[in-house]
Amino acid sequence: MEDPIRASLDHCVKCTICETACPVAQVTPLFPGPKYEGPQAERFRQPGGSVDHSVDYCSGCGICSQVCPQGVKIAELNSRARAQLKAERGAPWRDRVLARPGVTGPMGAPVAPLANKVMASAPLRRLLERTAGIHRDAPVPPYARRSFQRWARGRRSDGAGGGRRVVYFHGCSTNWFEPGLGRMVVAVLERNGVEVALPSQGCCGLPLQSNGLFDPARRTLLRLAADLGAAGGQDAVVASSTSCGLMLKREGREILGIEDGGLRAMGERTFDICEYLLDLHDQGALDTGFRPLPMTVLYHAPCQQRGHLMGTPALDLLALIPELRVVESVGGCCGIAGTYGLKKEKYPIAMAVGEPLFEQVRQVGPDAVACDGETCRWQISAAAQRPSVHPVELLFRAYGLDG
Amino acid sequence: MRADGTPHEVVVVGAGVAGLVAALRLAKGGRRVRVLAKGVGATHLTGATVDVLGYSPERVGSPAAALPGFVAAHPDHPYARIGIGVVDEALSWLKGHLADPRYVGDTGRNFRLPTAVGVPKPSAVVPQTMAAGDVVDGKSFAIVGLPALKDFYADLVAGNLALAGDGIEARAVPVGLDLDGRVDVTPPAYARRFADPDFRAELAFSLRGRLGADEVVGVPAVLGLAGAEAVWEELEGRLERPVFEIPTLPPSVPGLRLFDALMGALRRAGGRVVMGAPVVGAEREGNLVRGLYTEAANGRRYYPASHVVLASGGWAAGGIEMDGSWAVRETVLDLPVCGVPAGARFLPGYLDHQPLAGAGVAVDRSLRPVDGEGDVVLANVRVAGATLAGAEPWKEKSGDGISVSTGYHAAVSILAEEG
Amino acid sequence: MKSIETEVLVVGGGATGVGVARDAALRGFDTVLVERKDLAEGTTGRYHGLLHSGGRYAVKDPQAARECAAENVVLRRIAADTIEDTGGLFVTTPWDDPEFGDRFVRGCAENGVPVEEIEVADALRREPALHPKLRRAFLVADASMDSWKLVWACARSAHRHGARILTYRAVTEVLRDGDAVAGVVVVDPRTGDELAVHARLTVNATGAWAGRLTVMAGCREVEVVPGKGIMIAMNHRIVNTVVNRCTMPSDGDILVPIRTVSVMGTTDSPVRDPDELEITQAEVDHMLEEGEKLVPGFRSYRALRVWAGARPLFGARPPGDGVTGPRAPGGDTRDITRAHALIDHAERDGVGGFVTITGGKATTFRLMAEETVDLACRKLDGAEAALRPCRTATELLPDAENGYYSVRSRLAAREENLLDDQLVCECELVTRGTLEAALERRPTANIDDVRRALRLGMGPCQGGFCTYRAAGILHCRQQLDQAAANAALLGFLQERWKGVAPILYGDQLRQARLDDWLYQGLLDVEHLPA
Repeated sequence: MEDPIRASLDHCVKCTICETACPVAQVTPLFPGPKYEGPQAERFRQPGGSVDHSVDYCSGCGICSQVCPQGVKIAELNSRARAQLKAERGAPWRDRVLARPGVTGPMGAPVAPLANKVMASAPLRRLLERTAGIHRDAPVPPYARRSFQRWARGRRSDGAGGGRRVVYFHGCSTNWFEPGLGRMVVAVLERNGVEVALPSQGCCGLPLQSNGLFDPARRTLLRLAADLGAAGGQDAVVASSTSCGLMLKREGREILGIEDGGLRAMGERTFDICEYLLDLHDQGALDTGFRPLPMTVLYHAPCQQRGHLMGTPALDLLALIPELRVVESVGGCCGIAGTYGLKKEKYPIAMAVGEPLFEQVRQVGPDAVACDGETCRWQISAAAQRPSVHPVELLFRAYGLDG
Repeated sequence: MRADGTPHEVVVVGAGVAGLVAALRLAKGGRRVRVLAKGVGATHLTGATVDVLGYSPERVGSPAAALPGFVAAHPDHPYARIGIGVVDEALSWLKGHLADPRYVGDTGRNFRLPTAVGVPKPSAVVPQTMAAGDVVDGKSFAIVGLPALKDFYADLVAGNLALAGDGIEARAVPVGLDLDGRVDVTPPAYARRFADPDFRAELAFSLRGRLGADEVVGVPAVLGLAGAEAVWEELEGRLERPVFEIPTLPPSVPGLRLFDALMGALRRAGGRVVMGAPVVGAEREGNLVRGLYTEAANGRRYYPASHVVLASGGWAAGGIEMDGSWAVRETVLDLPVCGVPAGARFLPGYLDHQPLAGAGVAVDRSLRPVDGEGDVVLANVRVAGATLAGAEPWKEKSGDGISVSTGYHAAVSILAEEG
Repeated sequence: MKSIETEVLVVGGGATGVGVARDAALRGFDTVLVERKDLAEGTTGRYHGLLHSGGRYAVKDPQAARECAAENVVLRRIAADTIEDTGGLFVTTPWDDPEFGDRFVRGCAENGVPVEEIEVADALRREPALHPKLRRAFLVADASMDSWKLVWACARSAHRHGARILTYRAVTEVLRDGDAVAGVVVVDPRTGDELAVHARLTVNATGAWAGRLTVMAGCREVEVVPGKGIMIAMNHRIVNTVVNRCTMPSDGDILVPIRTVSVMGTTDSPVRDPDELEITQAEVDHMLEEGEKLVPGFRSYRALRVWAGARPLFGARPPGDGVTGPRAPGGDTRDITRAHALIDHAERDGVGGFVTITGGKATTFRLMAEETVDLACRKLDGAEAALRPCRTATELLPDAENGYYSVRSRLAAREENLLDDQLVCECELVTRGTLEAALERRPTANIDDVRRALRLGMGPCQGGFCTYRAAGILHCRQQLDQAAANAALLGFLQERWKGVAPILYGDQLRQARLDDWLYQGLLDVEHLPA
């Protein structure tokens, strides 16, 4: 059988809807657009010999596939083309390093204060830009002193006998940079009578995939699935990063082409934290005893959150908090696209892509920006100079758990 | 499978004009609405004029005058089903919700607006920014050619416009603009440039002194996305004469404006949109649909529904399909499709009336789908837009007219059930 | 009326005709070619593009097999850049007799066709879309060849050696001088201008139309049977190797990857008139069904276009007929040999200065041309004179030094000019610069000519977007009057519709409906001023 992702190019009727929605094509002519890179160029491709270097400018946001009315797997085609290109030309060592937070994490965490000082030092960042190609102003988060797994190790979950049990897939960002978020997720779940298993776990492989390093990405993802599965049997897996969650739900299959019954089954029982909590609410099982939070929050749904194709459960949850005023973002992409916007040659593009969103944040001036994607939070905070939180943090506060 | 939403939610399938109009009308009527769309609809591809009836097959000067005869001759046409009065009501309502740009006109008289090949096409309700293009005898046109815009050829427009009627004159006026060396600027890319006051000034300046005393200026429809009406007014002021936009091939900037306007209004009215999720199944109980399934990233998701509005876009959008064995299917609810010819589906002349053209889902006066005997198949479903049978909208020039009025009527019909 | 003189006049601008013109010009003859439409508008431009390995004839038609095997090697050398070295597979599907494979291998061995049996698993790894239950697989030296590129390369080469190539000149009269043909009168259908071409020798290279000219010349009609074959282009390269069914030639037994599409072929039914090639729904259905045997799920792929070409089938003739080339028993048109036939009308009809070359296939066009020009030498120089040597087997055609064509070429080229040029036809990556250069070389008011030269409009949208752009650009650059510009636009829409209407289903039906919304709903082209 012909590969179904490639075969989906047949559905393209050249309508230009994807090109209109592509945030990168709007700001730079170096990227000719998703229709060009996806279904159009695919007809000219043949195994063994990539010629389309412009595909490297695709940020992998996935908006094109979301808006395509004909079901062309555009983002998936682009990802594969990029992987093909990297496989033939070799990936720069910078990309290989950025793609492995599971490796750099354990290196940076023990020396967090020093590592953070380096990353905050302007001259050292300029040096890093020259040598490693990471833009001097790129929003690199500070390492936490103590990883989430250190906190989680040996901790027994307190599910208060609610009868539900989940496995928490926290992701590298929570582990190395935002362990506080992980603690909040656990607290909110336990507040609702959900027992939370906290197995030792690695990276989902998304940065490897988005940098075109498909073989290590597959290995990494399968290892993660094994770790999560060992802890939970058939329990639901809950993710607090919408990008990482999407890897497990779908991208491992559709982009990496992994055909593994176990992985597919795990994908079907993987939920984003907001999705999970809203489902509880629909079943009448969510504790809605929220205190008022008299603040204004601007909610931005990351591109990969929208890629879950489940609507925006965060909005429905936040609507339950009294006095919380939520403004929806103008949409679009914040530009960071995982590791894309960190790169020297891509940073200006990323900042141009996110500018309409940043401008809206400056205009609205919210108390915080709420966003389910960690790299998006760091990007928006750095660019618009406002604090950013995961929507779960607002629930945490509204439950009074921060007291 | 997970539950999502409450049982009182109306689910609209499709985010084209018909779907968004239905959803907005429902939301304004106080209903919870969720739009499930497998992608963006045809707004981005059309000129965003609301064409009610352009040809029957003679050119129609006044849809209001022509419609009674037309629906009498075409009793299965969507207009015949919903009643002519609904058309005016729907258009009036729509105009009330569009502000940037405003829409003007009514079914009393068609504008005749030049297309991108210079043919005066009849349209009933149009964006304010296009109205001055109305082709009447004795008018003189200057058609502006913008550089690096590959989807608009001013010479072609002017050449044919000049042949459009008595005393009509038209000529192309190419301008040079600073585009940072770009050789390919798409309509939306142009529209974004028009947010820059210096760019707008440059355009006005390059036309100053090159226009005849009575010439009305036609420009490709790229005068900005948000704020288009203000840009248009400013240009008219600077050139001291009427200016009008001419829709281009996709991507259509007027279409983008319409999409943004309807989506924005829907969101403000509390409607929810799930973009990118195709509907893959339905729960039925007798002659009712209880809910719809979409294909989300982690498998099927269920949306319980009190009613469903099917605005799936017809043949062009895959709402109705013919497979390689020539079998025809309505792809969301498996409704019966009528009008599929037994013999030849297509004739050799490109401009012939193609036998398959009118095929679609047949409906009753409330837009409920019916079978070959005229019996209602699903009582809580309404069908709107291009999925409907009985029309050849691209020939009649009735596309958005049908979408707007049937989308509106579908919503009203559901609202009426509440009593 | 204007008139010109030449030595060798070639009538017919398909592969054979331009091949003859090139060979004659290279051998020093003053040469003129006339073609009623555009080069390769006939049979040469309407087949699937197969460069035969000879495998398809190995069992049925040994003479044709030998010729193809030999010319395959020659063309790969002299016309490399028109050829994509896809390689070929012959596969035994569950519907085919596995023992035929043995006959096939024997036939190849006996006729100089290189062949190698391979493991079915290897064939499936190479082409995963093929039927998983294949029983046998063989590799051969098939390739795909771009016939327009080939024909224009020959024409350019001929032109460089002094030949005059005149397209859009239809023969209205054959001039006689006693019992010899002295030339023709042609008319340009675009302008009505007439031209008399006086020639010492007239070569009838009109292929499937050969009979007409022979009658106009006052000879007994050469009975060439137009063997209609339909072809379906699939939207993308389902396979990257030419795939044949290993069985006696039958309908829908070949799938050829050529440029960005794969072409399924073909049928074979005799018709009366090569200009009247009706495509029936039954034929289309039959081909789609046969396609399922090679590629499961074939009907769910997107079929882009269907068209028909007419093979020039020249059957048995009684001896003493002045015919060179093999004879074959009559009957089923598939039984008629595909080897060519060269007819000296002096011998056959007592009419001098006139020869007909017909039959054959694109792969052997050069050989056909060589034999024809050998005969021309004998007739014009005298039978005793030394034969002017033929160089066409060794002299490279223009651009052949670039080596084999790769499907990636246009994408690579576009990557280099992303910021410098607009795309007019996005599907086939045709830039504005390329279009304008083509118009400079060969001014035309007909978008279909542009299509043949550049593949504009041959992609998935079948002219949906580029028709408007091409019309706008032609209107400007060629300074067409309004009527001509409108005619170009409507003409191309009609031309594209012709090939799409018979296979409209699935994705292509969606596309056609979108194109209707654009051209009729948005542009209102049916109300363009007459």
